[in-house]
Amino acid sequence: MPSTLLRYQPMPDFSPIDFAVPFFVALVLIEMIWAWRIRPEAYEPRDTLTSLAFGLGSSVAGLLTGGAVLALSLWLYQFRLFDFGGEWWMVWWAWPLCFVLDDLGYYWFHRCAHRVRWFWASHVNHHSSQHYNLSTALRQSWTGFFAMSFIFRIPLTLLGFHPAMILFVGAFNLIYQFWIHTEAIGRMPRWFEAVMNTPSHHRVHHATNPLYLDRNYAGTFIVWDKLFGTFQQEGNERIRYGIVRQLGSFNLLWAVFHEWIGIAQDVWRAPWRHKLSYVWRPPGWTHDGSRETSDMIRARWLERQGSDSNNGAEKPVPNDNSIAGHEKPA
Amino acid sequence: MAFLGQFIASLAAILMLAWIARRLRLGSQIRIVDEDHAKLLSDEVICGFKAQDIALDQTGRAALLRDAAGRIILVKVHGAQFAGRLLGPGSSAAILDSVGSKSLTIDSGERVFGKAFLDVGDPEDWVNAINAAKIPTDA
Repeated sequence: MPSTLLRYQPMPDFSPIDFAVPFFVALVLIEMIWAWRIRPEAYEPRDTLTSLAFGLGSSVAGLLTGGAVLALSLWLYQFRLFDFGGEWWMVWWAWPLCFVLDDLGYYWFHRCAHRVRWFWASHVNHHSSQHYNLSTALRQSWTGFFAMSFIFRIPLTLLGFHPAMILFVGAFNLIYQFWIHTEAIGRMPRWFEAVMNTPSHHRVHHATNPLYLDRNYAGTFIVWDKLFGTFQQEGNERIRYGIVRQLGSFNLLWAVFHEWIGIAQDVWRAPWRHKLSYVWRPPGWTHDGSRETSDMIRARWLERQGSDSNNGAEKPVPNDNSIAGHEKPA
Repeated sequence: MAFLGQFIASLAAILMLAWIARRLRLGSQIRIVDEDHAKLLSDEVICGFKAQDIALDQTGRAALLRDAAGRIILVKVHGAQFAGRLLGPGSSAAILDSVGSKSLTIDSGERVFGKAFLDVGDPEDWVNAINAAKIPTDA
């Protein structure tokens, strides 16, 4: 069936990301020169190499698995609720609508990717750098297909958007998210910060400061976080980037697979009735309470802030995570 | 074939960028500057960790911190950042005698996290404390 659909429904032979890659490389280079002049600690050569190798490996993984995802999507497309007609690509308003709905789907994918350990095991790849620069944006997962992340785009297909259209707008969403991975830009104009995802909003997302954990899941439009109660404004405190339990290693394969290995070990060791919980519960959950989830860390931090202020301690903003050293905030 | 060309071009671009980052000497040589800094870093490892005893490496490359409950955290320089671990039964410590000085070697128990070497004043106390938590191998 997919091959029949491919024959009769023209697929745009255009990959926006292929055209964007030279710009990615040029912008990383420009940011490196900025770092050389202003903030040398913003980059670390081994971290950069690891992040970029992630990007390359991810594109290989995408090539190996993309066909299967497309075939599945085309098969599901026959069960669509609405039909944009044979010349679906000519329906101009379907494109922006598809982009907005795909961004909404991305929000929920991203939220689940942080709140369900199975999806986190794949998505953690993007967060495991302790640096926040444009090379971090290219730190993409190798195991997204294995984690079945593609299921979050199925509703759009079933609504009636052609898989090629979804892939196209999804690529533009990914390209948009590239430039927000930087400390070189402070804040954008107020109206822009109100609607769009920005470097400021996304720095919060990559932070491990307790107040910032699991916040700002947006892809392109920050309005989803405001709508669903996960928005957090960036403050003036220093930001610590990475993951709660930093890798402490530049080993690429360990960075790719460490959480999958962790899940396998936990499931193996856990009592039978808790085994599945190590797969679907939030990262950090344990049946014996020996580790902490982000909710637990934030709750304890907030409790501490409360007791500190009751004791008259002067601590107006969270400043726990100065692991990045004594540098000034971006 | 087209993808192979793209792959090779991308690989070349990656290696070039990493080489440039190295040539520009990006990634500052950071150190743990003092005990207060070490305390802040231990709080990164376990939110709310209150260190009572601190052993800071003389060169600032690593630190050990112990709280009232006897928990010990190792913090070390990792690239241009810091990383730390709560030491546990899989961790071990030993004293290395080199020319005229004793240095403390800490094995976190995680192969990829690696070891840390500290030049501290009183290593024996830390060795005893860390090894006391080890799982007996002859048990």
